[in-house]
Amino acid sequence: MVAPLVVFIGALAIYPTVLTVTEAFFHSDPLTPPNHFVGLGNFSAVFENPQVLHSIENTGWYALFGVVLTVAFGTGIALLLQRPFRGRGVLLAIVILPWALPGVVEGVIWSWIYNPTFGVLDSALKSAHLIGQYQLFIGSHQIETILLIALVQVWQITPLAALLVLAATQAIPDELYESARVDGANWYQHITRITLPLARPAIAIAAAEALVMSINIFDQVYVLNAAATTGSSLMSQTYFITFQDLNFGQGYALSLFATVATILLSLLILKVIYRKVEYS
Amino acid sequence: MTRRVGRLARIIALGIVVAWSLFPIYWALKTSLSTNVAAQSTPVQWWPGHLNFTAYQALFGAGPESQDAAGGIARSLINITVEATGATILTLIVSVLGAYAFARLHFRLKGVLFYGVIATLMLPVYATLIPLYRIMADLRLVDTYTGIILVYTSGFIPLAMWIMYNVFMALPRAIEEAAFMDGASTMQAFRKVVLPMARPGIAATAIVTFLFGWSQFIFPLVLSSSSTTQPLTVLLAAIDSRDVPYTIINAAAIVAVAVPAVIVFFLNRWIVTGITAGSVK
Repeated sequence: MVAPLVVFIGALAIYPTVLTVTEAFFHSDPLTPPNHFVGLGNFSAVFENPQVLHSIENTGWYALFGVVLTVAFGTGIALLLQRPFRGRGVLLAIVILPWALPGVVEGVIWSWIYNPTFGVLDSALKSAHLIGQYQLFIGSHQIETILLIALVQVWQITPLAALLVLAATQAIPDELYESARVDGANWYQHITRITLPLARPAIAIAAAEALVMSINIFDQVYVLNAAATTGSSLMSQTYFITFQDLNFGQGYALSLFATVATILLSLLILKVIYRKVEYS
Repeated sequence: MTRRVGRLARIIALGIVVAWSLFPIYWALKTSLSTNVAAQSTPVQWWPGHLNFTAYQALFGAGPESQDAAGGIARSLINITVEATGATILTLIVSVLGAYAFARLHFRLKGVLFYGVIATLMLPVYATLIPLYRIMADLRLVDTYTGIILVYTSGFIPLAMWIMYNVFMALPRAIEEAAFMDGASTMQAFRKVVLPMARPGIAATAIVTFLFGWSQFIFPLVLSSSSTTQPLTVLLAAIDSRDVPYTIINAAAIVAVAVPAVIVFFLNRWIVTGITAGSVK
């Protein structure tokens, strides 16, 4: 019964991962064969490439914006939906919707919102007198470009964080809130003293998932930033080095670096935020 | 008084959440139903005037504005449906069987294999993208449904297995034991007793897996080199706004949004089950 599963995972997950690890140390380029062992050659080549270094810096920003905004919005939404009320089911469906859509489609939809000539963002900001004239949002400033592209991904993954935290808040016994009320606790104290500490494991998992997804950001960058360096991410850089420049060896080296970084950082964020919660 | 203020603040906050979730989709829908002139007016028109379906007619090859760049949409819709559905079915078969074995049977190396599968949940796309492309190229499966479905399935199995494992672990063993007492074999007990009880969990896994399949982009971008297998997502990313009017681009986006949107509105209960079952460790 377990054989098909083992064959699939072995052949199409474990074996490719082993290839990534080993091939990163080989010269592997379909344009200039043969392949040969180069030790750390691929790594020194990619880490001397200023575009790669730029994309690593950008990915740090993507991760920062992605984790902070996703966890903040997701927790906020979970707190709003914590208590049952009429229409909560419909609201939950509305909240989930962006999570279910392809990242590429979201990129296309938001690129129209950010459009510098006909975009609704420019139009709304100008009508509100916040900007004097229409702006180019994507591609002019590094941090602004990254923030706006990150926002598209935050739109997509916030529902996941909201659901995780919401599930955790539903497990908190009502008696805790009741005894707090008897002691004269107000709404703010309920949240900071009861809800947030007890939802902490879920917040940690939501943060780790947001981190993994923002380090892997690609679809939104591909659509909104294309091949420009301004908002390039580690994943888009890896894609272009591998499948446009056909430099597989360097692609493998970057992939291995990103894989190790993703796993280490997500374990780190779990270790920092996660606390086991027990009800006694 | 403070209570009323609190309630008002809550309603405003909920309104912001609804606007944040729906506005981008509304905006694409509104643009897709406008004329090109109305879509490009400055300042923007917040509401659609007279509803105009020419963008959709152009997308599906009718009407004066039919464009080559958007012309492949019918084919890419078939492709994305075949690929997402095929991967969902294959993922379900493989992961339901495997999860049941891990939850109930005893066999050699069970622990190692189980943690091996779970560990692949942590692997990012980076770890497998380039080798999977090369493996599929060696097998001559680039630009085929088979290649794409195999790659999707390998990526979806770990999560599906994990959800189904938790579903099976939560089922009471007593019912299977009663079936064994009546002389049923493992396979019979699995088919007649366990599968029907696990149906809600299987539905949740199927829905979440299908949505993942519908969303795939980087793998088909690399693995499908022609319109014979390109899913809607890859086609959409390739449309150039210098050649195709914004109304048509937004109509194509709305077509890609429609299927997941229908699933979310009718089946969101299972999505919540699937997501929370797959993430709480």
